[in-house]
Amino acid sequence: MVEAAGWWPVLVAPALLLAGAVLAVAGDAMLAARYAGRPARAAVAAVPLLEVARLLAQQPRTLPKADRLLWRLGVVTVPVAAVLSVLVIPFGHRAVADLSVGVVWFNAMEVLTWAGLWLAGWGPNAAFSLIGGYRFVAQGLAYELPLMFALISPATAAQSLGVGDIAEAQQGLWFAVWMPVAFAGYLAGVLAFAFLGPFGYPAGRDTAAGVLGETAGVDRLLLQAGRWLWLTSGAAMAVPLFLGGAAGPGVPGWAWSALKTLLVLAVLVWSLRRLPVLRADRYAEFAWVVLVPLTIAQALVPALVVLDR
Amino acid sequence: MDLTAPLLRAAAARPHILLVATPGGTAARLAAERQLRLDGLPLAPTPADAGILLVAGPDCPALRPALDRLWQHMPAPRARAQARTPEAVADAVARCRIELAARPAPGPASAPPSDGTEPPGGLPMAETAPDRDGLSLDQLHLSLGPFLADWPSGVTVRLTLQGDVIQQAEMGEQPATRGTAPFWAEPWARAAAGERVGAGEAARRRAAAHLDSLGRLLALAGWAHAATTARRLRDDLLDGAATGALRPAVRRFARRVARSRTLHWLTRGTGVLGADEARAAGVSGPAARAGGDVAARYRTWLAAVVRDVERLADPAPLDAAYDEGPRGRGDAGQPPSEALLRVLPGLLEGAELAAARLIVASLDPDPDELAAAAREVASRG
Amino acid sequence: MNGFTAALALLGVALLAVGVLYGAARTLRGTPEPLAAGPFGSGLEPAEHAVSRFHVRWYTITMLFLAFDMEMVFMYPWTRVISAVGPSAVTEMFVFLAVLVAGVAYAWREGALRWT
Repeated sequence: MVEAAGWWPVLVAPALLLAGAVLAVAGDAMLAARYAGRPARAAVAAVPLLEVARLLAQQPRTLPKADRLLWRLGVVTVPVAAVLSVLVIPFGHRAVADLSVGVVWFNAMEVLTWAGLWLAGWGPNAAFSLIGGYRFVAQGLAYELPLMFALISPATAAQSLGVGDIAEAQQGLWFAVWMPVAFAGYLAGVLAFAFLGPFGYPAGRDTAAGVLGETAGVDRLLLQAGRWLWLTSGAAMAVPLFLGGAAGPGVPGWAWSALKTLLVLAVLVWSLRRLPVLRADRYAEFAWVVLVPLTIAQALVPALVVLDR
Repeated sequence: MDLTAPLLRAAAARPHILLVATPGGTAARLAAERQLRLDGLPLAPTPADAGILLVAGPDCPALRPALDRLWQHMPAPRARAQARTPEAVADAVARCRIELAARPAPGPASAPPSDGTEPPGGLPMAETAPDRDGLSLDQLHLSLGPFLADWPSGVTVRLTLQGDVIQQAEMGEQPATRGTAPFWAEPWARAAAGERVGAGEAARRRAAAHLDSLGRLLALAGWAHAATTARRLRDDLLDGAATGALRPAVRRFARRVARSRTLHWLTRGTGVLGADEARAAGVSGPAARAGGDVAARYRTWLAAVVRDVERLADPAPLDAAYDEGPRGRGDAGQPPSEALLRVLPGLLEGAELAAARLIVASLDPDPDELAAAAREVASRG
Repeated sequence: MNGFTAALALLGVALLAVGVLYGAARTLRGTPEPLAAGPFGSGLEPAEHAVSRFHVRWYTITMLFLAFDMEMVFMYPWTRVISAVGPSAVTEMFVFLAVLVAGVAYAWREGALRWT
């Protein structure tokens, strides 16, 4: 049973999310070092810390006729929405608040990044940033529906939108096992709303880092942190939705939550550098013609199973 | 308690570097890329992200205003250095890092840039023009180059965009530099001058040139792992690694990239340049042999690299009529890269911006060759 | 603590952290004033302001998306009542989805999902 505890999870949940994101950045730096032929020294693990120091010390920039209010608003929205999304994600058997509409809450917070990133692209009054902002909207139109159907499949199987109920409904068999298409669609969605790796289109190298191109200092730190916080949050949410939540033999529930989250996160981080960027002008067609029907068919499976129950 | 000093020291431990190569600076750029890769210093795509502006290559007066603009747009703490030769790179980076850590960052002037070319807000708004869909829509003018990550530096293409689709592309003027002979075509230049050059040496240079081009293309395609591998293999080749040591890694790399369905799906149908069309425009080399889209061109490079790696020890003299340079044959003082530039505008119009970047990278005109040609034109005229 | 209070508290924590970051950077960096820079234009000046009416060529997809998004509004509550309502719930929902997918197929045939 997922229970809501006192006030302290309000502090612990963001701290755990941040810790996961730091581990993910360090892991990514470790992989980058290996691929580049550098010895993977322990110092590589300090990369996230050095990045924070670098960006705190960096002077901020303003651009001519930039819309500073909207720019700042967009930049802040991305990481704040990521933190808000952990409201419903249980760690062990506790969540900050196990809302009865937890899945919808997570989905809504994720969609906030659309607004945030578009504003972050529009604000600086710079061509490459603008293109990057619009790229995220185009990418969103492609990834969002498969992600929504992927989210709704476990909810259908559990007949509840509460994340705790969904985790509990998997006592026999993990949803990832009998809903593999939904699981894969969900993981692709996580990479997409974190706009990392194959879904790094809005911040692509071809547009000189797109939405990130004009940000410096804390603004940049927040946007970058937002990406990795979202990746971590997505990995953590995969555990109650598809991997049986905190259930597991031997060790306590929180350990299982942490272990499963880190495993999903490791898979996601590993995948970042292994694929080319899926440009929205190609991916949109694939998503609508292949992924949407596939994920709808996947959602039909739990609906029929529930009827049979 | 003063926390600023330790913060600056921590920030200087891993600065991001805006690496800008000037035309004619390929050798220095290669040395810089190699060193930054081994030191683990990330390359910054824009001035906003950079702490160090590292200019690799000889002076180029025509490009100095653009370089200064990049510098003006960099936030503090920042440092700047130029490495004219490969040997100067290590020293330049080290000096910049010391400067970053030590200085309590007085910071660039917060006033607008002093050259007065940028009246804040004095710019016009975007204007409308008819679109290919028959609508009247806003146009944005955007220039790619002279200085852009993974771009043939010095080349300028002025784009007219509606949305992210290119309506019109115009080539800018090519700047001339005082400097050395083109790095990639050097064995062929020496052979043309009557010197005896081994075919193995030429094959090594050509394979490295193709891997350099592939590194750029794969980086633009966002495939970080493959781009890094291409650059590592390129550096190994230039270090003089033997065929036996390179073969497994090169084959594995070529197989993985050539067989990647994702990359093929993302690039097929873009930038189609038929073989006849290419020859008519004077294009020779891999772009003409491939006779197709971006995917055909990168596969041609990969096959050439695999072939060349087998020939590294070939002692026969280089026969330039049979063994082309990395970008093809230069005829009558016209380097092959010039022909590649000629076909560019036609390929770019109507392309999406990301596809346009891939098209340029798949033709990959050599800035060294272009600068040398511009130099000849300047000295003749 | 109910859900609403928890969400507000979490928002407060996140905003506080953001505020602390901005404050810390302001006091710690040596240069409090922001740099008046220009937009990156590959080394050249911009020709005009970038904020403009951007031609989104995928606007037809947004129409499709809206249709599916409205469908989601029904589908979320639907998940809770499937076994209560019985087979008709599943039939109705998936017939509705099939109609929408037919729309996607039509849009695809018309080339609305490609814009280059």
